[in-house]
Amino acid sequence: MSKLFPKSANSLPLQLMIFITILGGVATAAMTYYATPKYLRVGYQPIQPVPFDHSIHAGSLGIDCRYCHSSVEKSATSSVPTAQTCMNCHSIIKPNSPLLEPVRQSFATGEPLPWVKIHQAPDYVYFNHSVHVNRGISCVECHGKVNEMAVVSHVKSHSMGFCLDCHRDPASYIRDQKDVFNLNSKTLAEQGRLAEAHQHIKDWKVKPPQSCSGCHR
Amino acid sequence: MKRQFDHSAPSQRALAGPRYWRSLDELSASPGFKEQLAREFPEGASSIEGVDRRQFMRIMAASFALGGVGLAGCRRPEANILPYGKSVEYIVPGLPLYYATAMPMRKSAIPLLAETHQGRPTKLEGNPSYTPHGGATTLIAQASVLDLYDPDRSTSHSKNGRTLPVADVNDLLASIHKTYAGSGEGLAFLANESASPTRARLVARLKKQFPRAIWAEYEPVQDEPPVEAALASFGQSVKPLYRFAAAKRIVSLDADFLSAEAGSLYFAREFSKGRRVSNVDDAKEMNRLYVVESGFTITGSMADHRLRLSSSQVISLAAALANAVLGTSDYASLAQGLEFDKKDQWIAECAKDLAEHAGKSLVVAGAHQPAAVHVLVNAINAKLGNIGQTVDFVAIEPNSASSIKALATAIKAKSIKTLIILNGNPVYNAPADLAFTDIPGKQESILKLVPDVIRYGYYVDETSELAGTHLAATHYLESWGDARTVDGTIVPVQPMILPLFNGLMEVELLARLAGVENTDAYAQVFATLGSDQKAFDKFLHDGVKADSTYKIVEVSYRSGSAKALLATAQAPVAVTEDKVEVRFVIDHKVDDGRFVNNGWLQECPDPITKIAWDNAILVSPRLGKKLGIYPKGSALQISRVENAEYEMGKENAYIGEVTVNGRTVRGPLHIQPGLANYTVILPLGYGRTKTGHVGTGSGFNAYPARASDALHFATGCTIRNTGERHLLANTQEHWSMEGRDIIREANVDEFIANPGFVAGIGMESHAPANLGKDKNMPLAAQATEIPRGNSLYETPKFDGLHQWGMSIDLNTCIGCNACVVACQAENNIPIVGREQVKRGREMHWIRLDRYYSDGKIDGGAFGGEGNKILPEDPQAIVQPMTCQHCELAPCEIVCPVNATVHDDEGVNVMAYNRCIGTRYCANNCPYKVRRFNYFDYNKRSLDELYLGPLANQSEMPELVKLVKNPDVSVRMRGVMEKCTYCVQRVQQAKIAQKRLAQDSDNVLVPDGTIKTACQQVCPAEAIVFGNIKDEKSKVSLAKAQKRDYAVLGYLNVRPRTTYLGKLRNPNDKMPDYQNLPLSRIEYNSKNHPASHGEAAHGESHGHGHENGASGAAHGEHSHAPAGEKPKSEHGGHN
Repeated sequence: MSKLFPKSANSLPLQLMIFITILGGVATAAMTYYATPKYLRVGYQPIQPVPFDHSIHAGSLGIDCRYCHSSVEKSATSSVPTAQTCMNCHSIIKPNSPLLEPVRQSFATGEPLPWVKIHQAPDYVYFNHSVHVNRGISCVECHGKVNEMAVVSHVKSHSMGFCLDCHRDPASYIRDQKDVFNLNSKTLAEQGRLAEAHQHIKDWKVKPPQSCSGCHR
Repeated sequence: MKRQFDHSAPSQRALAGPRYWRSLDELSASPGFKEQLAREFPEGASSIEGVDRRQFMRIMAASFALGGVGLAGCRRPEANILPYGKSVEYIVPGLPLYYATAMPMRKSAIPLLAETHQGRPTKLEGNPSYTPHGGATTLIAQASVLDLYDPDRSTSHSKNGRTLPVADVNDLLASIHKTYAGSGEGLAFLANESASPTRARLVARLKKQFPRAIWAEYEPVQDEPPVEAALASFGQSVKPLYRFAAAKRIVSLDADFLSAEAGSLYFAREFSKGRRVSNVDDAKEMNRLYVVESGFTITGSMADHRLRLSSSQVISLAAALANAVLGTSDYASLAQGLEFDKKDQWIAECAKDLAEHAGKSLVVAGAHQPAAVHVLVNAINAKLGNIGQTVDFVAIEPNSASSIKALATAIKAKSIKTLIILNGNPVYNAPADLAFTDIPGKQESILKLVPDVIRYGYYVDETSELAGTHLAATHYLESWGDARTVDGTIVPVQPMILPLFNGLMEVELLARLAGVENTDAYAQVFATLGSDQKAFDKFLHDGVKADSTYKIVEVSYRSGSAKALLATAQAPVAVTEDKVEVRFVIDHKVDDGRFVNNGWLQECPDPITKIAWDNAILVSPRLGKKLGIYPKGSALQISRVENAEYEMGKENAYIGEVTVNGRTVRGPLHIQPGLANYTVILPLGYGRTKTGHVGTGSGFNAYPARASDALHFATGCTIRNTGERHLLANTQEHWSMEGRDIIREANVDEFIANPGFVAGIGMESHAPANLGKDKNMPLAAQATEIPRGNSLYETPKFDGLHQWGMSIDLNTCIGCNACVVACQAENNIPIVGREQVKRGREMHWIRLDRYYSDGKIDGGAFGGEGNKILPEDPQAIVQPMTCQHCELAPCEIVCPVNATVHDDEGVNVMAYNRCIGTRYCANNCPYKVRRFNYFDYNKRSLDELYLGPLANQSEMPELVKLVKNPDVSVRMRGVMEKCTYCVQRVQQAKIAQKRLAQDSDNVLVPDGTIKTACQQVCPAEAIVFGNIKDEKSKVSLAKAQKRDYAVLGYLNVRPRTTYLGKLRNPNDKMPDYQNLPLSRIEYNSKNHPASHGEAAHGESHGHGHENGASGAAHGEHSHAPAGEKPKSEHGGHN
């Protein structure tokens, strides 16, 4: 019988194994890096129908978040302001700015402005703003320093791990209740008041859910 | 070997049948689509082998290409946030708003609170401000929100097939007003009944303007006692309002007051008050219910003594009872011919029991019974002094409307030129002898004699087909209006949303016809209510008008006029197997047929027959045997022959033919234990010929057998078996508990002697306690510490602030099914259609199991004689069954992906996005409460489930999406789901509490804040949910009762949902008295078969009984011999 395989074929299984291992490793590494919210979401900065500048409104002018995101303390959603809210000021300030034309249109016709959603939880996640901001978690924890953003972008990963980091250790993220809407404030931990934070967690009975039912219904 | 799955092609019936998620565009494209299907699947869509390989590749290639297009760029899909242009008052995005409204229903209404999300109503709850209902609702009210978003509803006005713009409709109405102003000669109206004061006001105005016009009202079923009975008895126009809570002894003469009568919601709530037992003292005061009926209703299932009697014979029984109570023999002639076993004793003892509770007893008669029966009942109640105590008579306006018969006569005389039909559906449901229906070749509809028929209705139905003009009605959730509840309280009907399809409101229609200046419906209602803005705003806010109930009037029984009426009544003719009685009943779900296109109602099984999507001719076992339907038994069953033949849950019913006075209807025959022997029940409301996708092809139409001389029951009818077969979707093929301990019940006497009787029943009473030495721990500690008992396994930690639990009181549950539909509405549960229900794939998270027991089970040998008879006179028991939230849940340990786990508050949760659909959990669930999404029910129409890639897989139409609860995930194909204890409500309540707490520790949700959907709807308040860690919470108190037991508790799964045992309160003097409920007799003969005689029962079975149980065992064993041999075979009459 003639030789069907050359002698070098003896090492083929080993080569294949090494190759597959490396390929698998690379694929896993690539998925872990590229296919996670940390890569896919962070930095998302869509163009909005109106170039609203948070750094002017919330930063320089110091308008409270809640002036526009009015339902954040009451409801699951923080709510994006109606055109009427914009017109409260802009009927006087820059009433003829061409950039604000869509806002005036919306106010006149009632047709909503199609703001592009940046922070989007999946359908099966029921995030509630009010419970966080009422219990010492600041906007900045999830949204970053929006008051310094000319154009808002996605800065935190919003993955489930990101949520759980805080839910498992709320003391490191909690603030004084008066600092929640002050995006320049520091957490108690950052102020070196970690022991106090732990005391708050105990006193306020802060017990963020870590079970499925907390967020998935 | 590869397993072959039975993916059979949908039947023709299914294709014609319920197609809920189907859009109208698809419909128009369907012929070509079907042709393609026929070519590609010569043998149906049964398997992949049936497909031509090339065709398959082509289709797959096409779908891959499509997929590729969809994936193009792999970009994050852009989503928008769309805020309002102008801020809307009260609306906070993400928070629901609640408005008071009401669902009008014949001459009453159910006050509601509608939950709206940004202006779209999604869920209806009872208005708690209306105290008689206490926030409860019926299943029909729950499901009515789905009708609002029905894609099959009438979306435009039309005339002779042409769409009419709104302006033309207004012109049309104005021209009618102009043409007939002053006389009304030739004008006629046919309307449904209504309790709307505004409508009454406008109708009065119409009558004034058109003095010679005919205003007729027609409802196919009667749900209030006839007024002529009140006139004869009391000489006043009054109607009775029963106060069941005050009644200790209740006799129902063919009255299904828990379901079919007007005010049933109020009655059910009051009745359950007299049934609620928390301790021995309550049990002594528990009411006793005697039911005489021909069918088997949910009222009958609650009875302590139930007598099967043909509806036509009820008058005799009423007369005999009146004789006994009044101590006369005045009514002896009417009582003649009444025959049933131990009749004299039955009547005498029943009368005696009533007399002993004079002033605290109540006799009610069914609304369908003739006036004579009601007069007799009034006589009895008057004699017993019940009037003013357990029954009040309230003054009502006498109805001046003409009858449909008078209208039909006028039409036949060709004196009607314009007929306006308001709601209703006379072509479908008018008495057959009036010839409203068109039967090709046989009968010409009398509507064709009217030149101009204008039909105002919500659907384009049978009547619209024959009417030249169809005007689209608005749903009550889109309308301004008002109504009166059963006790007369005026309630608003408020719109939640602008009319979706430019429908016309009823008030506006009448206002335009009456030529009123301001035809706006709001203005009309405002005017009716007194034009006081402040009072009106309060009225709309509260949803009830204070002090607007009907006035209670003093009445005295006038024997003179009553005797005159009774003199016209005749003793009934005998009902025999050759001359059977036919009883037409309103359907529990689709009512008189108006809700036939509602998928939630269609899929909900009938509470007694458990048939979904169809109705059936119900016959007694005895009549069934005579018809040749006597099944030989089924391999599926262990020890009992079945009451029909089943093939994998499909009931293979024979088709029967019932002939009533020469009129014949055909339908599937279903043997229903507990019927009067020769009464045939025909449920109305099905077999519609012109309706939407859901209703088409469901059931048979019983109306053609119904003539105006016998609207509710007819005698001298015949029935035959055609031998043809039809498959029914029956959700509970097995009806016997086989002597097991699933439902535990006792008589009140036994409960008083041994309050802990439940502990003496079942496996637990024969085994050491699951909790071992920790069995006496308080409930709260048990829930949190989860003592391991003697187990080697680690138990989970429950360290949450709350520990949720539920208690279901089987003693008050009436089995009305409202919880099933409420759960469906709250939790976005899809409907799956008849074909899938036949395969046992229904998705309901809560179901009601109905069991029969007749006490004759032969425990000695399966297949013994006692097991071969169909019970003719069983006791029925219902049990709501849903996820029990076991602390040591069997489903969790078999899940390979941790998709079902516990949360720290003791709830067994499902993470849908983790579930991969192995279904192991469902297999390992001892309660069979897990439901699997076999198909994408939310994306596919129900007739395309099996079409694979050929099916239209678009999203559901926008219209039907609107009804979804935004707080609950809509599940996709391939995931398991089940009861979550309404986790969305729990979380929202917890969040709301934390919001209030801010930087304090006040985060404990107060008891009573959270109500699960099933709890909120329950008229009997049988379901209690709450925190079992709190010893004072309602649920803890319920669970602390001695009657508390866990179903299958011996499995040591430690369910968080437990049940309170059922009590029966029979009268030991009655001939049919049993000292044990029949299911207990079966339990004893099954579990102690050896001790069949009396002697063996002295032996001790008490080993291993835990505290309290030995007493139970003793009581039970000492009674059992008598129980095993029933004192008499009661109830059957020949």
